[in-house]
Amino acid sequence: MTTAPLTKVLIANRGEIALRIIRACRDLGMRAVAVYSDADREALHVRYADEAYPIGPAAPRESYLAVEKLVAVATRAGCDAVHPGYGFLSENADFADAVARAGLVFVGPPASVQRLLGEKTRARRLAREAGVPVAEGTIDPLRGLDDARAAAAKIGYPVMLKAAGGGGGKGMRAVRSEGELEAAWRMASGEAASAFGTPALFLERLVAHARHVEMQFIADAHGHVVWLGERDCSVQRRHQKLIEETPGPSVDPALRARLGDAAVKIARAAGYRSAGTAEFLVAEDGSFSFLEVNTRLQVEHPVTELATGLDLVALQLRVAAGDPLPFTQAEVRPRGAAIELRVTAEDARAGFVPASGVVGALRLPAGPGVRVDHALFEGMRVPTEYDPLLAKIVVWGADRAEALSRARRAVRETIVAGLPTSIPFHAHALADPDFASGRYDTGYVAAHWPPPDAAELEESAIHAGALVAVLATRPRRATASVDGRAASPWARAGGEEALR
Amino acid sequence: MRYEVRVAGRDLRVDLSSDARFLVDGRVVNADVDEIIRGWQWLVRVDGRSHEVTVLTRDPLRLAIDGVEVEASAADERSLAASRGTRPQGAGRHEVRAPMPGLLKAVHVREGDAVERDAALVTLEAMKMENELRAPAAGRVVKIAARAGSKVEGGAVLVVLAEIP
Repeated sequence: MTTAPLTKVLIANRGEIALRIIRACRDLGMRAVAVYSDADREALHVRYADEAYPIGPAAPRESYLAVEKLVAVATRAGCDAVHPGYGFLSENADFADAVARAGLVFVGPPASVQRLLGEKTRARRLAREAGVPVAEGTIDPLRGLDDARAAAAKIGYPVMLKAAGGGGGKGMRAVRSEGELEAAWRMASGEAASAFGTPALFLERLVAHARHVEMQFIADAHGHVVWLGERDCSVQRRHQKLIEETPGPSVDPALRARLGDAAVKIARAAGYRSAGTAEFLVAEDGSFSFLEVNTRLQVEHPVTELATGLDLVALQLRVAAGDPLPFTQAEVRPRGAAIELRVTAEDARAGFVPASGVVGALRLPAGPGVRVDHALFEGMRVPTEYDPLLAKIVVWGADRAEALSRARRAVRETIVAGLPTSIPFHAHALADPDFASGRYDTGYVAAHWPPPDAAELEESAIHAGALVAVLATRPRRATASVDGRAASPWARAGGEEALR
Repeated sequence: MRYEVRVAGRDLRVDLSSDARFLVDGRVVNADVDEIIRGWQWLVRVDGRSHEVTVLTRDPLRLAIDGVEVEASAADERSLAASRGTRPQGAGRHEVRAPMPGLLKAVHVREGDAVERDAALVTLEAMKMENELRAPAAGRVVKIAARAGSKVEGGAVLVVLAEIP
């Protein structure tokens, strides 16, 4: 099968992932077309792209989720492909269909594969038939609360209530006893309905002290499927990831090969094409069970890129154009260790409640082994309508110890002022002996956050902080310095004192 | 002017004199200050040590001191004295506010209900996630200020609780 190379790609997304895809397009000599909602008029993806088109109001349903508008823009702009990024329409089979119907290439698995794997109970059945272990649970979506009650009693508490329509931590609740089931059902089905358009839920046994380990794979249109290594994503809050790393601290070469083999079996059984991720729960004894396939590029894909030296987005674009994978399984040799820290617009100290604000000052880390994927700029108003991800700090080291040192250094350099973020959590985790030794599971955040003690600082640092607390709190006079030269704020503060 | 300052859990008395001297707990500290980003970032040299201090948020005040995030507060004596003069209004009263704009999905309590600390009061949908806002203390619901299904602004009062004495 030969297809003409792609020349112009519409990016149906925003934020850091839109920038990431624009960069891959540039590297491959393709033109990148951005779309933007009213909330994103000044956004970096609009400025970086070759062309940018408005698609409507800030509400996702009227812009980034508006299938017809996106396809119309792609057609009008003369694109030959559409990349959905992650989130939004990336796992929406109807969108993939609409793109294909318009004669454009969808950069991702075909709609039929998305339908097969996107409905989580069907994916579980497919995995089981392919010989991959799945977590004990319901095979079909639950018919209602009574059905859930009966199924949970049969499986035994604690159980996990999950959306059948999609993943990403939405529509998911841990249920420890029957008394919690009704409230959990209400919340999960409500969230599932608004996130995936269907309230359908299913149940799984909750594995205690499990690690969330996922395997990246990529498949071309010529029957080649290759796995690219695992990522441990156990550090989560509300079932959403905060830190991901490779190699997984609990994964030895034998387990890695078994997870890779399982991912490839599932991909082959589904007729997969493009990049995808198979998620597993790994129990303390090293046994694992399949959770779901994310039929898209993932937020944490740079972790695998740093370890393998591959460009996953460029590979997606080449595979979508019909190219065969340019390497074999034996040629994939991950090296060193990589860690990703998700900087989100959430108040970590207040239990990760979403936050908003204007970025007042910004400094991102640099130096050996550090990569930052973000779409921030000073003066940017962080919209409340979208995912709270602000930046991904990804570090690489020759081994895990070096990666950890570099991660600590990078976090210390990072400043995102103007709104609360997840940065203090990252600083704490990186300094925490349990995280540093790799002893953690999906219960990590609940057990280690918030920290009991305030940070220890030397005396001169406390004094510096005290001085700035005074300078930042006191009302500022509009008048400039008296003698016309730029007085130090200290002298100015002193001068203002004299005027009082 | 004298300020009562708290930084990373440490209480300090800070004097800022009209001749630009800086005293901490009555002792002069030699500090040399540059404002690097107006209103956001300062470089403070104290006895030869250089510290970069950034205001991360103002309400509540949070600072990054050499990349370490700490909580802080500063109040001048005049306003402290003024606030001490009057009994703080609404002691034992808690206003549960929307941390950000969003859609109020559900209200789980009714006016007059007695609730335990951490009881779920309302569910707010923001940034695609549903968040339960919980009672900051045990008390009685004296007011529900927003309807389920309505859009609310960030900072809007949603529920008012009165602690039961």
